[in-house]
Amino acid sequence: MTDQGFVVLDDVTYAYPDADRPVLHGVRLEIAAGSITGVVGASGAGKTTLAKLISGFIPQVDGGDLTGTVSVGGRDLAELSLVEAVGQVGLVIQNPFNQISGAKYTVREEIAFGLENVGTPRAEMAKRVDDVARLLRITDLLDRSPYALSGGQMQLVAIASMLVLRTPVLVMDEPTSQLDPAGTRLVFDVLNTLEEAGLTVIVFEHKQELLQAYADRLLVLAGGRIVADGDPTTVLADDHTEEWGIGATRFTRAARIARDRGLLNGGVLPVSFEQAVETFGGPR
Amino acid sequence: MSTTLYVERVSPVHRLNPVTKLVALLCLLVVVFAIAQWWVGVGVLLLVIVPAAVASGCGGVLAGFALRLLLPVLAMLVLVQGLTYPGGQTVLWEWGPLALTTEGLLFAATIGARLACLVCASVLLVLTTHPGELMSALTEKGLSPKFSYIISSTLQLIPSFRDRADSILLAQQARGLAVPRNPLRRLGVLMPLLGPLVLGMFTDVEERSTAMEARGFGSTARRTSLVPVPDTTAQRVARWVMPALAAVAIVAPFVWGSR
Repeated sequence: MTDQGFVVLDDVTYAYPDADRPVLHGVRLEIAAGSITGVVGASGAGKTTLAKLISGFIPQVDGGDLTGTVSVGGRDLAELSLVEAVGQVGLVIQNPFNQISGAKYTVREEIAFGLENVGTPRAEMAKRVDDVARLLRITDLLDRSPYALSGGQMQLVAIASMLVLRTPVLVMDEPTSQLDPAGTRLVFDVLNTLEEAGLTVIVFEHKQELLQAYADRLLVLAGGRIVADGDPTTVLADDHTEEWGIGATRFTRAARIARDRGLLNGGVLPVSFEQAVETFGGPR
Repeated sequence: MSTTLYVERVSPVHRLNPVTKLVALLCLLVVVFAIAQWWVGVGVLLLVIVPAAVASGCGGVLAGFALRLLLPVLAMLVLVQGLTYPGGQTVLWEWGPLALTTEGLLFAATIGARLACLVCASVLLVLTTHPGELMSALTEKGLSPKFSYIISSTLQLIPSFRDRADSILLAQQARGLAVPRNPLRRLGVLMPLLGPLVLGMFTDVEERSTAMEARGFGSTARRTSLVPVPDTTAQRVARWVMPALAAVAIVAPFVWGSR
Protein backbone atom coordinates (compact mmCIF):
# COMPACT_ATOMS: atom_id res chain seq x y z
CA MET A 1 0.00 0.00 0.00
CA THR A 2 1.28 3.47 -0.89
CA ASP A 3 0.06 6.87 0.23
CA GLN A 4 -1.27 7.34 -3.30
CA GLY A 5 -3.34 4.19 -2.92
CA PHE A 6 -4.87 4.47 0.52
CA VAL A 7 -8.38 3.92 -0.84
CA VAL A 8 -8.21 1.61 -3.83
CA LEU A 9 -11.00 0.42 -6.12
CA ASP A 10 -9.73 -2.19 -8.51
CA ASP A 11 -11.96 -2.87 -11.53
CA VAL A 12 -15.15 -2.59 -9.50
CA THR A 13 -18.47 -3.48 -11.13
CA TYR A 14 -21.60 -3.55 -9.03
CA ALA A 15 -25.29 -4.31 -9.61
CA TYR A 16 -28.05 -4.05 -6.99
CA PRO A 17 -30.00 -7.24 -6.25
CA ASP A 18 -32.51 -8.05 -9.01
CA ALA A 19 -31.20 -5.21 -11.18
CA ASP A 20 -30.79 -6.06 -14.87
CA ARG A 21 -27.63 -3.97 -15.29
CA PRO A 22 -24.77 -2.72 -13.12
CA VAL A 23 -24.76 0.73 -11.55
CA LEU A 24 -20.97 0.92 -11.58
CA HIS A 25 -18.80 -0.40 -14.40
CA GLY A 26 -15.11 -1.24 -14.12
CA VAL A 27 -14.24 1.56 -11.70
CA ARG A 28 -10.50 1.87 -11.07
CA LEU A 29 -9.41 4.42 -8.54
CA GLU A 30 -6.59 5.23 -6.14
CA ILE A 31 -7.02 7.95 -3.57
CA ALA A 32 -4.11 9.36 -1.60
CA ALA A 33 -4.12 9.49 2.19
CA GLY A 34 -4.77 12.92 3.68
CA SER A 35 -6.35 14.37 0.54
CA ILE A 36 -9.74 15.85 -0.34
CA THR A 37 -11.28 14.20 -3.37
CA GLY A 38 -14.48 15.56 -4.88
CA VAL A 39 -16.87 13.40 -6.90
CA VAL A 40 -19.47 14.99 -9.18
CA GLY A 41 -22.05 13.38 -11.39
CA ALA A 42 -25.63 13.75 -12.56
CA SER A 43 -28.45 12.15 -10.57
CA GLY A 44 -28.39 8.42 -11.18
CA ALA A 45 -24.70 8.44 -12.16
CA GLY A 46 -23.90 6.10 -9.25
CA LYS A 47 -22.58 8.59 -6.68
CA THR A 48 -24.48 7.24 -3.67
CA THR A 49 -23.66 3.67 -4.73
CA LEU A 50 -19.96 4.54 -4.90
CA ALA A 51 -20.18 6.28 -1.51
CA LYS A 52 -21.79 3.20 0.07
CA LEU A 53 -19.26 0.92 -1.62
CA ILE A 54 -16.27 2.83 -0.24
CA SER A 55 -17.84 2.94 3.22
CA GLY A 56 -18.50 -0.81 3.31
CA PHE A 57 -22.32 -0.78 3.14
CA ILE A 58 -22.17 -2.45 -0.24
CA PRO A 59 -22.33 -5.38 -0.45
CA GLN A 60 -22.58 -6.09 3.33
CA VAL A 61 -25.96 -4.40 3.77
CA ASP A 62 -27.41 -3.91 0.31
CA GLY A 63 -26.28 -7.24 -1.16
CA GLY A 64 -26.03 -7.38 -4.95
CA ASP A 65 -23.29 -8.55 -7.29
CA LEU A 66 -19.85 -7.07 -6.76
CA THR A 67 -16.78 -7.88 -8.78
CA GLY A 68 -13.36 -6.34 -8.21
CA THR A 69 -12.06 -5.19 -4.85
CA VAL A 70 -12.40 -2.15 -2.60
CA SER A 71 -9.65 -1.71 -0.06
CA VAL A 72 -8.90 0.90 2.56
CA GLY A 73 -5.48 1.11 4.16
CA GLY A 74 -4.59 -2.19 2.50
CA ARG A 75 -7.60 -4.06 3.94
CA ASP A 76 -10.15 -5.53 1.55
CA LEU A 77 -13.57 -4.29 2.75
CA ALA A 78 -15.27 -7.45 1.48
CA GLU A 79 -13.32 -9.44 4.08
CA LEU A 80 -14.42 -7.20 6.94
CA SER A 81 -17.68 -7.24 8.86
CA LEU A 82 -19.78 -4.09 8.62
CA VAL A 83 -18.70 -3.05 12.12
CA GLU A 84 -15.02 -3.45 11.12
CA ALA A 85 -15.62 -1.59 7.85
CA VAL A 86 -17.28 1.39 9.53
CA GLY A 87 -14.27 1.47 11.83
CA GLN A 88 -12.20 2.27 8.71
CA VAL A 89 -14.51 4.64 6.85
CA GLY A 90 -16.96 7.15 8.29
CA LEU A 91 -20.07 8.05 6.29
CA VAL A 92 -21.94 11.35 6.42
CA ILE A 93 -25.25 11.17 4.56
CA GLN A 94 -27.38 13.82 2.85
CA ASN A 95 -30.05 14.57 5.40
CA PRO A 96 -28.54 15.86 8.65
CA PHE A 97 -31.83 15.31 10.43
CA ASN A 98 -31.74 11.56 9.77
CA GLN A 99 -28.20 11.30 11.14
CA ILE A 100 -29.25 12.42 14.58
CA SER A 101 -29.88 9.27 16.61
CA GLY A 102 -32.99 10.70 18.25
CA ALA A 103 -31.90 8.98 21.40
CA LYS A 104 -29.71 11.67 22.92
CA TYR A 105 -30.50 14.75 24.92
CA THR A 106 -27.49 16.97 24.14
CA VAL A 107 -25.04 17.43 21.28
CA ARG A 108 -22.30 16.14 23.60
CA GLU A 109 -24.14 12.84 24.11
CA GLU A 110 -25.08 12.70 20.42
CA ILE A 111 -21.43 12.94 19.36
CA ALA A 112 -20.51 10.24 21.88
CA PHE A 113 -23.23 7.85 20.64
CA GLY A 114 -20.90 5.94 18.28
CA LEU A 115 -18.24 5.62 20.98
CA GLU A 116 -20.85 4.24 23.40
CA ASN A 117 -21.80 1.65 20.79
CA VAL A 118 -18.25 0.34 20.57
CA GLY A 119 -17.77 0.35 24.34
CA THR A 120 -15.28 3.21 24.76
CA PRO A 121 -14.50 4.00 28.43
CA ARG A 122 -16.26 7.12 29.77
CA ALA A 123 -13.13 9.24 30.38
CA GLU A 124 -11.78 8.50 26.89
CA MET A 125 -15.19 9.34 25.39
CA ALA A 126 -15.36 12.69 27.16
CA LYS A 127 -11.87 13.59 25.96
CA ARG A 128 -12.53 12.63 22.37
CA VAL A 129 -15.83 14.55 22.27
CA ASP A 130 -14.13 17.69 23.60
CA ASP A 131 -11.24 17.28 21.12
CA VAL A 132 -13.50 16.93 18.11
CA ALA A 133 -15.76 19.79 19.25
CA ARG A 134 -12.70 22.05 19.50
CA LEU A 135 -11.46 20.90 16.09
CA LEU A 136 -14.79 21.75 14.43
CA ARG A 137 -15.30 24.85 16.63
CA ILE A 138 -18.64 23.68 17.96
CA THR A 139 -17.89 23.68 21.69
CA ASP A 140 -20.68 26.24 22.20
CA LEU A 141 -23.19 23.69 20.87
CA LEU A 142 -22.25 20.82 23.18
CA ASP A 143 -24.93 21.38 25.79
CA ARG A 144 -27.72 22.18 23.33
CA SER A 145 -30.36 19.78 22.08
CA PRO A 146 -29.39 18.23 18.72
CA TYR A 147 -32.82 19.23 17.45
CA ALA A 148 -32.39 22.90 18.35
CA LEU A 149 -29.68 23.39 15.70
CA SER A 150 -29.72 24.87 12.21
CA GLY A 151 -29.22 22.47 9.29
CA GLY A 152 -25.56 23.48 8.94
CA GLN A 153 -24.88 23.05 12.65
CA MET A 154 -26.68 19.68 12.58
CA GLN A 155 -24.46 18.55 9.71
CA LEU A 156 -21.36 19.66 11.65
CA VAL A 157 -22.59 17.55 14.58
CA ALA A 158 -23.04 14.63 12.17
CA ILE A 159 -19.47 15.12 10.95
CA ALA A 160 -18.24 15.36 14.55
CA SER A 161 -20.10 12.13 15.33
CA MET A 162 -18.03 10.43 12.65
CA LEU A 163 -14.70 12.12 13.42
CA VAL A 164 -14.93 11.07 17.04
CA LEU A 165 -14.67 7.45 15.85
CA ARG A 166 -11.27 8.32 14.36
CA THR A 167 -11.73 6.52 11.08
CA PRO A 168 -8.90 7.34 8.66
CA VAL A 169 -11.36 7.99 5.82
CA LEU A 170 -14.50 10.13 5.76
CA VAL A 171 -17.04 9.81 2.95
CA MET A 172 -19.56 12.63 2.63
CA ASP A 173 -22.53 11.92 0.39
CA GLU A 174 -23.97 15.27 -0.72
CA PRO A 175 -23.58 16.71 2.77
CA THR A 176 -24.90 20.13 1.79
CA SER A 177 -27.81 19.15 -0.45
CA GLN A 178 -30.35 20.18 2.19
CA LEU A 179 -28.52 23.18 3.58
CA ASP A 180 -28.79 26.90 2.92
CA PRO A 181 -25.72 28.84 1.66
CA ALA A 182 -24.58 29.67 5.20
CA GLY A 183 -24.84 26.02 6.28
CA THR A 184 -23.06 24.92 3.11
CA ARG A 185 -20.17 27.30 3.77
CA LEU A 186 -20.00 26.06 7.36
CA VAL A 187 -19.56 22.44 6.20
CA PHE A 188 -17.06 23.22 3.45
CA ASP A 189 -14.95 25.37 5.77
CA VAL A 190 -14.48 22.27 7.90
CA LEU A 191 -12.93 20.33 5.00
CA ASN A 192 -9.58 22.11 5.27
CA THR A 193 -9.51 21.41 9.01
CA LEU A 194 -10.10 17.71 8.29
CA GLU A 195 -7.33 17.65 5.69
CA GLU A 196 -4.95 19.32 8.15
CA ALA A 197 -5.89 16.65 10.68
CA GLY A 198 -4.65 14.04 8.19
CA LEU A 199 -8.00 12.63 7.16
CA THR A 200 -8.73 11.27 3.72
CA VAL A 201 -11.98 12.94 2.68
CA ILE A 202 -14.15 11.95 -0.28
CA VAL A 203 -16.98 14.41 -0.97
CA PHE A 204 -19.83 13.62 -3.33
CA GLU A 205 -21.31 16.98 -4.28
CA HIS A 206 -23.06 19.04 -6.95
CA LYS A 207 -21.69 22.43 -5.90
CA GLN A 208 -18.87 22.84 -8.39
CA GLU A 209 -17.53 26.22 -7.30
CA LEU A 210 -17.01 24.93 -3.77
CA LEU A 211 -15.39 21.71 -4.97
CA GLN A 212 -13.07 23.77 -7.14
CA ALA A 213 -12.09 25.80 -4.08
CA TYR A 214 -11.68 22.97 -1.57
CA ALA A 215 -10.90 19.68 -3.36
CA ASP A 216 -7.38 18.56 -4.29
CA ARG A 217 -8.72 16.34 -7.01
CA LEU A 218 -12.02 15.90 -8.84
CA LEU A 219 -13.64 12.83 -10.35
CA VAL A 220 -16.62 12.86 -12.69
CA LEU A 221 -18.97 9.92 -12.60
CA ALA A 222 -21.29 9.38 -15.56
CA GLY A 223 -23.30 6.25 -16.31
CA GLY A 224 -21.47 4.37 -13.57
CA ARG A 225 -18.00 5.07 -15.00
CA ILE A 226 -15.31 7.54 -14.07
CA VAL A 227 -15.11 9.73 -17.16
CA ALA A 228 -12.79 12.46 -15.88
CA ASP A 229 -10.20 12.67 -13.14
CA GLY A 230 -7.82 15.47 -12.32
CA ASP A 231 -7.29 18.94 -10.98
CA PRO A 232 -10.76 20.43 -10.16
CA THR A 233 -10.41 23.53 -12.31
CA THR A 234 -9.20 21.57 -15.34
CA VAL A 235 -12.00 19.01 -14.99
CA LEU A 236 -14.79 21.55 -14.42
CA ALA A 237 -13.64 23.80 -17.26
CA ASP A 238 -13.57 20.89 -19.72
CA ASP A 239 -15.77 21.29 -22.78
CA HIS A 240 -17.40 17.91 -22.14
CA THR A 241 -19.09 18.81 -18.83
CA GLU A 242 -22.54 19.11 -20.48
CA GLU A 243 -22.04 15.71 -22.09
CA TRP A 244 -21.13 14.24 -18.67
CA GLY A 245 -24.36 15.66 -17.27
CA ILE A 246 -22.77 17.96 -14.70
CA GLY A 247 -23.22 21.28 -16.50
CA ALA A 248 -20.83 24.13 -15.87
CA THR A 249 -20.67 27.13 -13.57
CA ARG A 250 -21.99 30.45 -14.90
CA PHE A 251 -18.40 31.72 -15.09
CA THR A 252 -17.31 28.80 -17.28
CA ARG A 253 -20.39 29.22 -19.49
CA ALA A 254 -19.70 32.94 -19.88
CA ALA A 255 -16.07 32.23 -20.69
CA ARG A 256 -17.05 29.66 -23.33
CA ILE A 257 -19.26 32.24 -25.04
CA ALA A 258 -16.44 34.78 -24.87
CA ARG A 259 -13.99 32.24 -26.31
CA ASP A 260 -16.41 31.25 -29.11
CA ARG A 261 -16.73 34.94 -30.03
CA GLY A 262 -12.98 35.29 -30.10
CA LEU A 263 -12.81 37.47 -27.00
CA LEU A 264 -10.67 34.99 -25.10
CA ASN A 265 -7.55 33.18 -26.12
CA GLY A 266 -6.74 29.59 -25.16
CA GLY A 267 -6.01 28.34 -21.67
CA VAL A 268 -8.12 26.86 -18.89
CA LEU A 269 -11.51 28.54 -18.57
CA PRO A 270 -12.53 30.01 -15.21
CA VAL A 271 -14.76 28.06 -12.84
CA SER A 272 -15.08 30.47 -9.93
CA PHE A 273 -15.71 34.18 -9.54
CA GLU A 274 -12.09 34.83 -8.57
CA GLN A 275 -10.80 32.95 -11.64
CA ALA A 276 -13.29 34.80 -13.86
CA VAL A 277 -12.04 38.15 -12.56
CA GLU A 278 -8.50 37.06 -13.33
CA THR A 279 -9.39 35.71 -16.78
CA PHE A 280 -11.36 38.76 -17.88
CA GLY A 281 -8.79 41.20 -16.55
CA GLY A 282 -10.46 42.33 -13.36
CA PRO A 283 -12.76 45.26 -12.69
CA ARG A 284 -11.68 48.54 -14.29
CA MET B 1 -37.91 20.85 15.16
CA SER B 2 -38.25 18.45 18.08
CA THR B 3 -39.05 14.83 17.40
CA THR B 4 -39.95 13.92 20.93
CA LEU B 5 -42.89 14.70 23.18
CA TYR B 6 -40.47 15.08 26.08
CA VAL B 7 -41.05 18.23 28.13
CA GLU B 8 -37.92 19.53 29.83
CA ARG B 9 -38.59 20.34 33.49
CA VAL B 10 -36.73 20.05 36.78
CA SER B 11 -38.99 17.80 38.83
CA PRO B 12 -38.83 14.73 41.06
CA VAL B 13 -40.64 12.73 38.37
CA HIS B 14 -38.12 13.77 35.71
CA ARG B 15 -35.27 12.82 38.04
CA LEU B 16 -36.52 9.26 38.54
CA ASN B 17 -34.63 6.51 36.75
CA PRO B 18 -36.59 5.72 33.54
CA VAL B 19 -36.70 2.03 34.45
CA THR B 20 -38.38 2.91 37.77
CA LYS B 21 -41.02 4.86 35.85
CA LEU B 22 -41.46 2.04 33.36
CA VAL B 23 -41.88 -0.55 36.14
CA ALA B 24 -44.37 1.73 37.94
CA LEU B 25 -46.34 2.16 34.72
CA LEU B 26 -46.50 -1.59 34.07
CA CYS B 27 -47.47 -2.37 37.67
CA LEU B 28 -50.24 0.23 37.68
CA LEU B 29 -51.63 -1.05 34.41
CA VAL B 30 -51.52 -4.67 35.56
CA VAL B 31 -53.45 -3.77 38.72
CA VAL B 32 -56.00 -1.62 36.90
CA PHE B 33 -56.65 -4.21 34.21
CA ALA B 34 -56.62 -7.22 36.55
CA ILE B 35 -59.13 -5.88 39.07
CA ALA B 36 -62.46 -5.27 37.36
CA GLN B 37 -63.69 -2.49 39.64
CA TRP B 38 -64.27 1.05 38.41
CA TRP B 39 -62.93 2.56 41.63
CA VAL B 40 -59.52 0.93 41.16
CA GLY B 41 -58.90 2.81 37.94
CA VAL B 42 -60.34 6.05 39.32
CA GLY B 43 -58.26 5.63 42.50
CA VAL B 44 -55.03 5.08 40.56
CA LEU B 45 -55.84 8.05 38.35
CA LEU B 46 -56.62 10.43 41.22
CA LEU B 47 -54.12 9.20 43.81
CA VAL B 48 -51.11 8.34 41.65
CA ILE B 49 -51.22 9.70 38.10
CA VAL B 50 -52.69 13.16 38.74
CA PRO B 51 -50.34 13.97 41.68
CA ALA B 52 -47.38 12.69 39.65
CA ALA B 53 -48.43 14.85 36.69
CA VAL B 54 -48.75 17.91 38.93
CA ALA B 55 -45.40 17.21 40.60
CA SER B 56 -43.75 16.85 37.17
CA GLY B 57 -45.00 20.22 36.00
CA CYS B 58 -46.56 18.54 32.97
CA GLY B 59 -50.15 18.51 34.27
CA GLY B 60 -51.42 21.00 31.68
CA VAL B 61 -49.76 19.25 28.74
CA LEU B 62 -51.03 15.87 29.94
CA ALA B 63 -54.57 17.22 30.42
CA GLY B 64 -54.52 18.55 26.86
CA PHE B 65 -53.42 15.19 25.44
CA ALA B 66 -55.84 13.24 27.62
CA LEU B 67 -58.83 15.39 26.70
CA ARG B 68 -58.13 15.14 22.98
CA LEU B 69 -57.52 11.40 23.06
CA LEU B 70 -60.02 10.27 25.65
CA LEU B 71 -63.06 12.53 25.49
CA PRO B 72 -64.56 11.07 22.28
CA VAL B 73 -63.86 7.50 23.43
CA LEU B 74 -65.32 8.03 26.90
CA ALA B 75 -68.43 9.73 25.49
CA MET B 76 -68.94 6.80 23.15
CA LEU B 77 -68.42 4.31 25.98
CA VAL B 78 -71.03 5.94 28.21
CA LEU B 79 -73.53 6.10 25.37
CA VAL B 80 -73.02 2.57 24.07
CA GLN B 81 -72.47 0.68 27.35
CA GLY B 82 -74.83 2.83 29.41
CA LEU B 83 -77.71 2.38 27.00
CA THR B 84 -77.16 -1.14 25.64
CA TYR B 85 -75.39 -3.09 28.43
CA PRO B 86 -76.94 -6.59 28.24
CA GLY B 87 -76.93 -7.30 31.99
CA GLY B 88 -78.55 -3.97 32.96
CA GLN B 89 -81.23 -4.32 35.66
CA THR B 90 -81.43 -0.94 37.41
CA VAL B 91 -83.00 1.41 34.89
CA LEU B 92 -82.27 5.09 35.50
CA TRP B 93 -83.88 6.43 32.32
CA GLU B 94 -85.73 4.81 29.44
CA TRP B 95 -86.69 5.80 25.93
CA GLY B 96 -88.14 3.18 23.61
CA PRO B 97 -85.75 0.21 23.36
CA LEU B 98 -82.95 2.21 24.96
CA ALA B 99 -82.48 2.04 28.72
CA LEU B 100 -79.75 3.79 30.71
CA THR B 101 -78.82 1.35 33.48
CA THR B 102 -76.61 1.63 36.58
CA GLU B 103 -74.79 -1.60 35.62
CA GLY B 104 -74.09 -0.25 32.13
CA LEU B 105 -72.73 3.00 33.52
CA LEU B 106 -70.53 1.14 36.02
CA PHE B 107 -69.19 -1.08 33.24
CA ALA B 108 -68.49 2.02 31.12
CA ALA B 109 -66.78 3.63 34.15
CA THR B 110 -64.55 0.55 34.64
CA ILE B 111 -63.47 0.42 30.99
CA GLY B 112 -63.16 4.21 30.83
CA ALA B 113 -61.02 4.38 33.98
CA ARG B 114 -58.74 1.66 32.61
CA LEU B 115 -58.34 3.50 29.32
CA ALA B 116 -57.74 6.78 31.14
CA CYS B 117 -55.03 5.14 33.27
CA LEU B 118 -53.41 3.53 30.23
CA VAL B 119 -53.34 6.75 28.21
CA CYS B 120 -52.46 9.16 31.02
CA ALA B 121 -49.73 7.02 32.58
CA SER B 122 -48.13 6.24 29.21
CA VAL B 123 -48.23 9.86 28.03
CA LEU B 124 -46.84 11.02 31.39
CA LEU B 125 -43.92 8.60 30.99
CA VAL B 126 -43.22 9.99 27.52
CA LEU B 127 -43.54 13.61 28.69
CA THR B 128 -41.13 13.15 31.57
CA THR B 129 -38.58 10.72 30.10
CA HIS B 130 -36.14 11.62 27.37
CA PRO B 131 -35.90 8.75 24.85
CA GLY B 132 -32.13 8.76 25.15
CA GLU B 133 -32.22 8.39 28.90
CA LEU B 134 -34.74 5.58 28.57
CA MET B 135 -32.51 3.85 26.04
CA SER B 136 -29.39 4.22 28.20
CA ALA B 137 -31.24 3.01 31.30
CA LEU B 138 -32.68 -0.04 29.55
CA THR B 139 -29.30 -0.87 28.03
CA GLU B 140 -27.62 -0.52 31.43
CA LYS B 141 -30.13 -3.03 32.79
CA GLY B 142 -28.99 -5.52 30.18
CA LEU B 143 -31.68 -5.06 27.53
CA SER B 144 -30.48 -5.40 23.93
CA PRO B 145 -29.52 -1.93 22.63
CA LYS B 146 -31.49 -2.63 19.46
CA PHE B 147 -34.61 -3.43 21.45
CA SER B 148 -34.25 -0.40 23.68
CA TYR B 149 -33.64 1.78 20.61
CA ILE B 150 -36.86 0.49 19.08
CA ILE B 151 -38.74 1.50 22.24
CA SER B 152 -37.14 4.91 22.54
CA SER B 153 -37.34 5.74 18.83
CA THR B 154 -41.00 4.68 18.69
CA LEU B 155 -41.70 7.37 21.27
CA GLN B 156 -40.35 9.97 18.90
CA LEU B 157 -42.11 8.58 15.84
CA ILE B 158 -45.41 10.31 16.58
CA PRO B 159 -44.28 13.96 16.21
CA SER B 160 -42.09 13.07 13.23
CA PHE B 161 -45.06 11.30 11.59
CA ARG B 162 -47.31 14.30 12.31
CA ASP B 163 -44.81 16.79 10.83
CA ARG B 164 -44.50 14.78 7.64
CA ALA B 165 -48.29 14.33 7.38
CA ASP B 166 -48.75 18.10 7.79
CA SER B 167 -46.22 18.79 5.01
CA ILE B 168 -47.91 16.35 2.62
CA LEU B 169 -51.36 17.77 3.41
CA LEU B 170 -50.11 21.32 2.93
CA ALA B 171 -48.56 20.40 -0.43
CA GLN B 172 -51.82 18.84 -1.59
CA GLN B 173 -53.89 21.78 -0.34
CA ALA B 174 -51.59 24.12 -2.27
CA ARG B 175 -52.58 22.11 -5.35
CA GLY B 176 -56.28 22.65 -4.70
CA LEU B 177 -57.20 19.75 -2.40
CA ALA B 178 -60.23 20.77 -0.33
CA VAL B 179 -60.47 19.09 3.07
CA PRO B 180 -64.16 18.83 4.08
CA ARG B 181 -65.33 19.31 7.68
CA ASN B 182 -67.40 16.12 7.69
CA PRO B 183 -65.17 13.49 9.35
CA LEU B 184 -66.16 10.65 7.01
CA ARG B 185 -65.67 12.67 3.84
CA ARG B 186 -62.47 14.08 5.35
CA LEU B 187 -61.21 10.52 5.89
CA GLY B 188 -62.02 9.66 2.27
CA VAL B 189 -60.05 12.66 1.00
CA LEU B 190 -57.07 12.01 3.27
CA MET B 191 -56.73 8.26 2.57
CA PRO B 192 -54.74 8.72 -0.68
CA LEU B 193 -52.18 10.78 1.26
CA LEU B 194 -51.21 7.69 3.25
CA GLY B 195 -49.12 6.33 0.35
CA PRO B 196 -46.57 9.17 0.24
CA LEU B 197 -46.62 9.39 4.02
CA VAL B 198 -45.70 5.74 4.55
CA LEU B 199 -43.20 5.68 1.66
CA GLY B 200 -41.51 8.80 3.01
CA MET B 201 -41.25 7.23 6.44
CA PHE B 202 -39.66 4.11 4.93
CA THR B 203 -37.04 6.25 3.19
CA ASP B 204 -36.30 8.04 6.46
CA VAL B 205 -36.01 4.77 8.34
CA GLU B 206 -33.60 3.33 5.76
CA GLU B 207 -31.43 6.45 5.82
CA ARG B 208 -31.45 6.58 9.60
CA SER B 209 -30.56 2.90 9.77
CA THR B 210 -27.53 3.51 7.51
CA ALA B 211 -26.46 6.42 9.72
CA MET B 212 -26.82 4.28 12.84
CA GLU B 213 -24.79 1.41 11.37
CA ALA B 214 -22.10 3.90 10.34
CA ARG B 215 -21.81 4.79 14.03
CA GLY B 216 -21.17 1.23 15.13
CA PHE B 217 -24.72 0.44 16.22
CA GLY B 218 -24.28 -3.15 15.06
CA SER B 219 -21.29 -3.64 17.34
CA THR B 220 -21.48 -6.49 19.81
CA ALA B 221 -19.17 -4.75 22.29
CA ARG B 222 -20.57 -4.06 25.73
CA ARG B 223 -22.11 -0.56 25.59
CA THR B 224 -20.77 2.24 27.72
CA SER B 225 -22.50 5.50 28.53
CA LEU B 226 -21.10 9.04 28.50
CA VAL B 227 -23.61 10.26 31.07
CA PRO B 228 -24.65 7.71 33.69
CA VAL B 229 -28.40 7.49 34.30
CA PRO B 230 -29.07 8.46 37.93
CA ASP B 231 -30.26 5.67 40.18
CA THR B 232 -30.64 5.26 43.95
CA THR B 233 -30.91 2.36 46.36
CA ALA B 234 -34.46 3.44 47.20
CA GLN B 235 -35.42 3.17 43.53
CA ARG B 236 -33.71 -0.18 43.14
CA VAL B 237 -35.75 -1.45 46.11
CA ALA B 238 -38.92 0.17 44.73
CA ARG B 239 -38.49 -1.68 41.46
CA TRP B 240 -38.77 -4.98 43.35
CA VAL B 241 -41.44 -3.82 45.79
CA MET B 242 -43.85 -2.43 43.16
CA PRO B 243 -44.35 -5.72 41.27
CA ALA B 244 -44.74 -7.52 44.61
CA LEU B 245 -47.42 -5.04 45.72
CA ALA B 246 -49.14 -5.36 42.35
CA ALA B 247 -49.17 -9.15 42.75
CA VAL B 248 -50.61 -8.80 46.25
CA ALA B 249 -53.29 -6.39 45.01
CA ILE B 250 -54.34 -8.89 42.35
CA VAL B 251 -54.24 -12.01 44.53
CA ALA B 252 -55.66 -10.51 47.74
CA PRO B 253 -59.31 -10.29 46.58
CA PHE B 254 -59.24 -14.00 45.68
CA VAL B 255 -57.76 -14.92 49.09
CA TRP B 256 -60.18 -12.75 51.05
CA GLY B 257 -63.07 -13.73 48.80
CA SER B 258 -62.50 -17.45 49.45
CA ARG B 259 -62.76 -17.06 53.24
